[in-house]
Amino acid sequence: MGRLILAVLVALASVLIYFLYLRSPPPLPEIDLEEWWGTELSKSKQDDSIKPFKVDFNEVMIKDLKDRLRDRHPLAPPLKGVAFEYGFNSKQLEGWLKYWAEEYSFKERENFFNNYPHFKTDIQGLSIHFIRVTPEVPPSVEVIPLLLLHGWPGSVREFYEAIPYLTSASRDRDFALELIIPSLPGYGFSSGAKRPGLGADKMAVVFRNLMHRLGFKKYYIQGGDWGALITSCMATFFPDEVLGYHSNMPFIMSPKVTLISLIGALYPPLVVGSNVQDRMYPMLEKYANLMEETGYMHIQSTKPDTIGVALSDSPTGLAAYILEKFSTWTQISNRKAPDGALTKQFSRDQLLDNLMVYWSSNSITTSMRLYAETFNKRYLGLGLEEIPTNVPAWFIQAKNELTYTPIWALKTKYPNLINETILDDGGHFLAFQLPEIFSNDVIKAIQSFRAWHKNNKKTEL
Amino acid sequence: MGKLLVLTVLITIIGIATWCALPMLLPESPPQLDANEWWGPMDTKGKVDASIKPFQVKFTEEIIKDLKNRLQNKRQLVPPLEGIGFEYGFNSKEIEPWAKYWSEEYKFGDREKFFNKFPQYKTNIQGLNIHFIRVKPQVQPGVTVVPLLLMHGWPGSVREFYEAIPLLTKPVSGYDFAFEVIVPSLPGYGFSDATVRPGLGSAQIGVIFKNLMNRLGHKKFYIQGGDWGAIIASQMATMFQNDILGMHSNMLIVQTGCSTLKTIAGAFFPSLIVESHLADRMYPLWKYFSYLMEEFGYMHLQATKPDTVGVALSDSPTGLLSYILEKFSTWTRFEHRTLVNGGLTFRFSKDQLIDNLMVYWASNSITTSMRLYAENMSNKNRALGIDKFSTSVPTWALQAKNELFYQPPNILRHKYSNLLGVTVLDDGGHFIAFEMPKVFADDVFKAVKLFRDFHKTKTEL
Repeated sequence: MGRLILAVLVALASVLIYFLYLRSPPPLPEIDLEEWWGTELSKSKQDDSIKPFKVDFNEVMIKDLKDRLRDRHPLAPPLKGVAFEYGFNSKQLEGWLKYWAEEYSFKERENFFNNYPHFKTDIQGLSIHFIRVTPEVPPSVEVIPLLLLHGWPGSVREFYEAIPYLTSASRDRDFALELIIPSLPGYGFSSGAKRPGLGADKMAVVFRNLMHRLGFKKYYIQGGDWGALITSCMATFFPDEVLGYHSNMPFIMSPKVTLISLIGALYPPLVVGSNVQDRMYPMLEKYANLMEETGYMHIQSTKPDTIGVALSDSPTGLAAYILEKFSTWTQISNRKAPDGALTKQFSRDQLLDNLMVYWSSNSITTSMRLYAETFNKRYLGLGLEEIPTNVPAWFIQAKNELTYTPIWALKTKYPNLINETILDDGGHFLAFQLPEIFSNDVIKAIQSFRAWHKNNKKTEL
Repeated sequence: MGKLLVLTVLITIIGIATWCALPMLLPESPPQLDANEWWGPMDTKGKVDASIKPFQVKFTEEIIKDLKNRLQNKRQLVPPLEGIGFEYGFNSKEIEPWAKYWSEEYKFGDREKFFNKFPQYKTNIQGLNIHFIRVKPQVQPGVTVVPLLLMHGWPGSVREFYEAIPLLTKPVSGYDFAFEVIVPSLPGYGFSDATVRPGLGSAQIGVIFKNLMNRLGHKKFYIQGGDWGAIIASQMATMFQNDILGMHSNMLIVQTGCSTLKTIAGAFFPSLIVESHLADRMYPLWKYFSYLMEEFGYMHLQATKPDTVGVALSDSPTGLLSYILEKFSTWTRFEHRTLVNGGLTFRFSKDQLIDNLMVYWASNSITTSMRLYAENMSNKNRALGIDKFSTSVPTWALQAKNELFYQPPNILRHKYSNLLGVTVLDDGGHFIAFEMPKVFADDVFKAVKLFRDFHKTKTEL
């Protein structure tokens, strides 16, 4: 009886999938290149200049931060026998707070941040902060632009260890990368929107305009987390400008892909390679993990301003909330590690640097609004996952990333998928955790993109 | 084609009806939990006594000074997006007036006296010092005193019952009984101890409260609850059917596969399930799910990472205010989401709401209070399946217009076989005892009279 019902369901699903394949993709949404995100008043004051910027950890902010850390209200002790299963273990947190207040070298770290040149420029009413690293190379080497986009709860800091690798020159290639690494609007040193609506798709427009401001009409893009989604939108909206798309978190949630993945639960080899089968199945286990890990997403998509009050006011609270992700998203089994295995992959300075971006700029609330602006009827109704783009694409999928997407699914949106790198290591914050592997993969991707373009130009003639 | 469809639907309905009737035909007994399970530190086991000690709420100088400091030194908050009320959560413009009132006008001394107007006590049950208010009525001969256990929920407290207690503990004309009310703080909430080990879910709290009532000399008693209090009441009524004389609930729900199926079937034929003037409290289903998605981010987060979010909420009183008061806005009237001030003082005074906040802040219990969500979601507790068993305890439901859930009597009767009736209110929200104490108290009297008649009839047979 059960088998009969199952067979009927599979048949129904197959019919559905067939019709989904026949269906034409939704139209591209209207793109307003001048949509304004500042106040009405500020419209008349906009200028196109690019001003240098320096990260500044000032004395007033540091003293206030230390006071709050030292005078924190007592925290409820963790339950017996529990590590990180109920969230950040309050006993473990103490070590972090002590380090932050007593040992973290604010001046040194500020200098570290300013190792690379920072700038700010106004785009569509937003003050956009970015790092720009131009490689020093002989004239025979072509300098090509690469936009790197971070996510939540990350920042430009995630790319610092990768920058030297990415901007290096090598005899094996005829190009070097010039990096443009902005803070997302509402994150870190970029200002947030003053009015509702600035979802991931709208940020894609802002960054396209940023690249144009810097003189780049064609460019390469790379992203993880929100950066992956925003760059995906850029590849969809501006296929004639984006020369190649690299992502370390590909994710397609179209009805087609979801249905096929569901059927795949019955017989995974139909749907995913055996070497990565355990990254997608068993489905119930993966689903349970997702449910356990997406509470933050649910509250940030609906009430970002509510939770933002506490996180803006308490650096202790912000540390627990953000560091929890660097534990679990690096490897989900870290939930059972007594210290969350935080310092296994990252140094204390690295993680606190990232926290400082949020704390010193007071941007946690505006950063969380991105979830509410994107996971809503407006954005989801655009059906962007179902609109394919011809931009050549390359994906790297780390072993412990939160989701895994097989090639056939990626091809539904990126028909010119050139390669999928399956990594036997690494987690969600790949550039941060494995900068050399990350950078090598990006460089290989761009080499392939350039070859692809050369070939395609030839066939056009 | 049409005939085939009708036939399929009929067969499906008959199938569902049969499946739903099965539990009635084959009754099993619900699990018996360990009445002596120890929730305190192991080294206290066997070393605590059963004495009942008087207790006074104290807002010490230290607490007040520290609280005012934190409120007055709160970090600058990001302004809300243009043109919104509470749609993104607590509007930060409203934080300032509330923080100002709390730190400069709220009279801690007066409010402490107010809290202590009812006699309260602490007694150790299963390793935890349980706080409770106990008010005995002054009655003439001929008026029976009946014990009534009142249970609050999250983010409420015993404070929710303060306006109702005088009404419940006074003889009312037309009734030959009055209530002795016992109003405990849930373990981990307010002035009751929190457990030190995992596992203390709502059913286990039910065991603790039964033991509490027994300690106070009541072998059989009536129970009333809302929010978590309603869940605990429902489980007590299932586990202790011989000891619970009657249950009054202002959030009565059934959560079985059968009730879900019936609810879905009702989406197609609402008139089979619910009276037409009440149908919009349940249907359309998509609207209901959209509402759940919008409002239950906090539940998702607390059921998975209570300790993470607890850090910030323990450390920042403005953060706690925002997080908790948001519920008193939306759960009182959903439309309050569109208001810049969240409609907070629509039915509640500032003092009432801050009194409730003080219970959480003064006892530093926000983190332990939120763990209850995680405990109930645990595999172990869900496997108990207590909610699937039906109960013959006479039951009455008070159903406020703006409560979060609504189920009609024919669905409720699947579990509550002696549901004597419901009061459908055209007013009121989730915190009904707090918002409309007279309506609430009147309804409790009405229900308990019916319970007493029910028992009289049974004994006469």
